[in-house]
Amino acid sequence: MRDNKIFTHTRTVLWKLILPVFILLFWLLAAEFAWVSPLLLPSPLVVGRTIQMQLGQEGTLLADMSVSLVRILRGYSLGAAVGITFGVLMGMSPKVNTFFMLTLTAIRQVPIMAWIPLLIIWFGIGENSKISVIFLASYFPILVNTMSGIASTDQKLLEVGRMYHLSRWKLFTKIYLPSALPVIFTGLKVGLGISWMAVVGAEMIAASAGIGFRINDARSLLQFPIVYAGMIAIAVTGLAMDMILTVVTNLSMPWKNNNK
Amino acid sequence: MSKKLEIKNLNRNFWIRNEEVAVLKDIHLTIDEGEFIAIVGHSGCGKSTLLKIIAGLEVQSSGSCLINGRSVSGTGPDRGMIFQEHRLFPWLKIKDNVQIGLDHLTKQEKDRLADDYLAMMKLSDFKHAYPSQLSGGMSQRVAIARALVTQPDILLLDEPFGALDALTKMDLQTEMTQIRQQQKSTMIMVTHDIEEAVFLADKVVVLSSRPGTIQDIVTIELGSVRDRGSADFAWYKRRILNYLIGEAKVNTPEFTI
Repeated sequence: MRDNKIFTHTRTVLWKLILPVFILLFWLLAAEFAWVSPLLLPSPLVVGRTIQMQLGQEGTLLADMSVSLVRILRGYSLGAAVGITFGVLMGMSPKVNTFFMLTLTAIRQVPIMAWIPLLIIWFGIGENSKISVIFLASYFPILVNTMSGIASTDQKLLEVGRMYHLSRWKLFTKIYLPSALPVIFTGLKVGLGISWMAVVGAEMIAASAGIGFRINDARSLLQFPIVYAGMIAIAVTGLAMDMILTVVTNLSMPWKNNNK
Repeated sequence: MSKKLEIKNLNRNFWIRNEEVAVLKDIHLTIDEGEFIAIVGHSGCGKSTLLKIIAGLEVQSSGSCLINGRSVSGTGPDRGMIFQEHRLFPWLKIKDNVQIGLDHLTKQEKDRLADDYLAMMKLSDFKHAYPSQLSGGMSQRVAIARALVTQPDILLLDEPFGALDALTKMDLQTEMTQIRQQQKSTMIMVTHDIEEAVFLADKVVVLSSRPGTIQDIVTIELGSVRDRGSADFAWYKRRILNYLIGEAKVNTPEFTI
């Protein structure tokens, strides 16, 4: 049984890796045989060396990534806190929902990129404008998912809660919240993805550090391998954060793993 | 025996598309302390509504529903309910599910009570499991433990074994007769299973449909240990069935809706 499990697991991992390996090989071939100009498409080996160099003493990749990451963590945690709080309140109370819904939906219609000029006018080109962009980008998907998760709580379980006279707080902690958790985590994941987009976008428009700034800067200096290196760094870090969130999701819902 | 529950002149109407529909009409029912009452009737006859009114989950349109002489307003710890679906919280372990109605007690008291009732329902080995790891029958036993552990004066059962397979159902019905001897709760069960009603109840209330009115109250005089195969048992079943079939004949066109 156990061997079987390991076998299945290995097969899943291999199945996942086929596509990226294939893309990498194709890229390598395209660069080696110069199907595309090496200026536009440097070889993955060159990009690999660039990443290696950028990660070293003289490079700025780590510094840029950490600047962007800190911005994301600050903006995103604010977005998550506000999004979950309002989502819970709006999901539990139709009255609160009606009060805020119209305004929030109107605000959501303004694309995040359209906020950036205004936020720069308000907060300058420093940290606060970046954090507010990420906050605005991430809170909405978190809010909407939390709200719909809470609102779709099984009425039959709530009836049990009423039968046992649970307080509003207990109703929240014992029924609403655990029932909405899967959907809340979906919102958190979507919000995290959007945070990356928002921070890179904001850094491209106005910043003096961060991965978005670095990509744009390298482009203007014609250092295309650095553009690639930056994009790969974003992809890998984003993937890692998504995986961390998946682990947190599974840990917070132990009742979902039945094979104990 | 003292009166536990008194329902007088109770009516319940629903509004369906601007039309007032009477669901329960002119219900008069007195239940003594410690009695086991079964309410039977066709689906849609209002029997579950009646139970929910007693539970305090719904309110009657007119008339009164008194428990110990006091009008029911909202749910209360004096009443417990077992639903057709087990309705356990999937995210709580079995023990925490059973303790959901015990918030007012200390941790030691909660643990002791939960352990006692889980043992009574033969579930001690599963107290740290999640509901998804249990079968349907076991889940329903947890639901029974959850309702009993609060030691309610009145236990309300809404088709409690309706979702179970025939064998599990019979096992639980037999266990229910044992539980009755240990608990002093008054029990009111809604069911469409006539055999179940005759097997468990002291009195069977037969409700007609649309609007639900009490057709008859049949007192079952078969003692505390009942044999499903006996002639007397069959006689009671037949008698109750006649009410329901007779009614179905008269009302056939309505039931095709």
